[in-house]
Amino acid sequence: MIRVNDVQKHFGALHVLRGITFEVQKGEAIVIIGPSGSGKSTLLRCINLLVEPDSGQVFIDGVQVNRHGIRHEWVRQQVGMVFQSFNLFTHLTAIDNVTLGLTRVKGMTHDKAVEKARELLARVGLAAKENSYPAELSGGQQQRVAIARALAMDPKAMLFDEPTSALDPEYIREVLDVMTALAREGMTMIVVTHEMGFASNVASRILFMDAGKIVEEGSAEQIFHRPKEERTRSFVSKILR
Amino acid sequence: MVVAGLLMAFVILPAIFNFSLLSTQFWQIYTRFYITGLFGTFFYVALTLPLSVVLGFLMGWARVSRIRIFRWPASLYVNIFRGLPPLILVIFASLFGTSLIPQPILDRFFAGFRRGDIAVGIAAIAIAMHSSAYQAEIFRAGFQSVPKGQVEAAQALGLRSWQGMRHVILPQTFRLSLPPLGNEFAVLIKDTSILAGIAGTELVAKSRDLLGVLSASGLPIVWIFAVWTVVAITYLVLTYSVTRGLRLLERKFHTPGLEAISL
Repeated sequence: MIRVNDVQKHFGALHVLRGITFEVQKGEAIVIIGPSGSGKSTLLRCINLLVEPDSGQVFIDGVQVNRHGIRHEWVRQQVGMVFQSFNLFTHLTAIDNVTLGLTRVKGMTHDKAVEKARELLARVGLAAKENSYPAELSGGQQQRVAIARALAMDPKAMLFDEPTSALDPEYIREVLDVMTALAREGMTMIVVTHEMGFASNVASRILFMDAGKIVEEGSAEQIFHRPKEERTRSFVSKILR
Repeated sequence: MVVAGLLMAFVILPAIFNFSLLSTQFWQIYTRFYITGLFGTFFYVALTLPLSVVLGFLMGWARVSRIRIFRWPASLYVNIFRGLPPLILVIFASLFGTSLIPQPILDRFFAGFRRGDIAVGIAAIAIAMHSSAYQAEIFRAGFQSVPKGQVEAAQALGLRSWQGMRHVILPQTFRLSLPPLGNEFAVLIKDTSILAGIAGTELVAKSRDLLGVLSASGLPIVWIFAVWTVVAITYLVLTYSVTRGLRLLERKFHTPGLEAISL
């Protein structure tokens, strides 16, 4: 479904990704953990080309997407993205946030888009909030709208960039519940998160990244309880407390 | 403002000062000068205000452009027109502005105009450019106040970059720019009075001319005071209506989460 092959990325003198290779099968939920600055976010952004890899290949459904002749807009319709800071459009209500992509990218009529957006808002438990502006919603509600907005494009896979890191503790659960349901329905997902409960319950595999490389890869059980690498062990011991 | 002027001249001042010039002849003269002046001011505002917004918006956009050849001319423009007093700009524009227009174009499109009127028109454009430099900075700040995450979210949805600009950035930029634009519009309206210095036909110039005509009949100082008071009230009403209008726009486009950021 998604294949990343030897991807390198520099930001100026900073070597952020040092040859990343991994593959995600259809329906898998991959969790990426690792210390800040290890390149997790950059890796996610290389998949939907918000960041262009310096070298290496990214394949979605067998199509190499980081090459000339492939429109970025097309790639981004294949994979939805959810951000740490929600990034809902401030000037639009919850429902307009969801319909914008439907009408402008998919060319759907306004009525059809509204109908679909209502279904999605209901699915994330926010049917009653369709006319609220982002500033009128809690962090958890905003993030759920953001998930609905991304799902509206019918993506083949979803990328989550620390979706609960900016949330107050009481709102983390509601967002994770939506994500868990999504994974159970068979959505292909790559999630950067430090929510160990979520990782243990949902992740088919966990990748541990450090200093721009994938250091270790394995099941939750293996990464959290029987890590092979010293760096994994030391990181896991810090986040498991 | 016409009402204010009439009230002042017909009721208040005659009562206080035992007005002796209350003759139909005086009022014919007064209204002719006032109305001509007022319409002149309206005309210059109608010319400079939209022009300055368009120029200011384009320059503000160019200043945040990723393309360097857009950025530096815009920043040169802003620094020059913001850095010169509008009076100096008006003097330059009126003295040398017409020579910038090629003679064939003058003959073809401006044949019916006197050269002096063309000069005042160009001077008005100079005032618009002065204001547009300030507006460019307002729009630039508006653009820069839209968080980068908004653009990323638009991209991640698959919107093309012009669609992100049109549907995500511009609406927020305009909303954020409205309050400071109100200030700038008030300044621009007042600055059209500078055109009086180069024989522009507007409120200040016509009021000065009126007093010139009236002084032949031995004008008491209170009348000079009265005429200028009417002018002052007119400007107050004008600037207040425009800033008030913008307030209404602000309320119409009220968005929770966007009014808290002030530029």
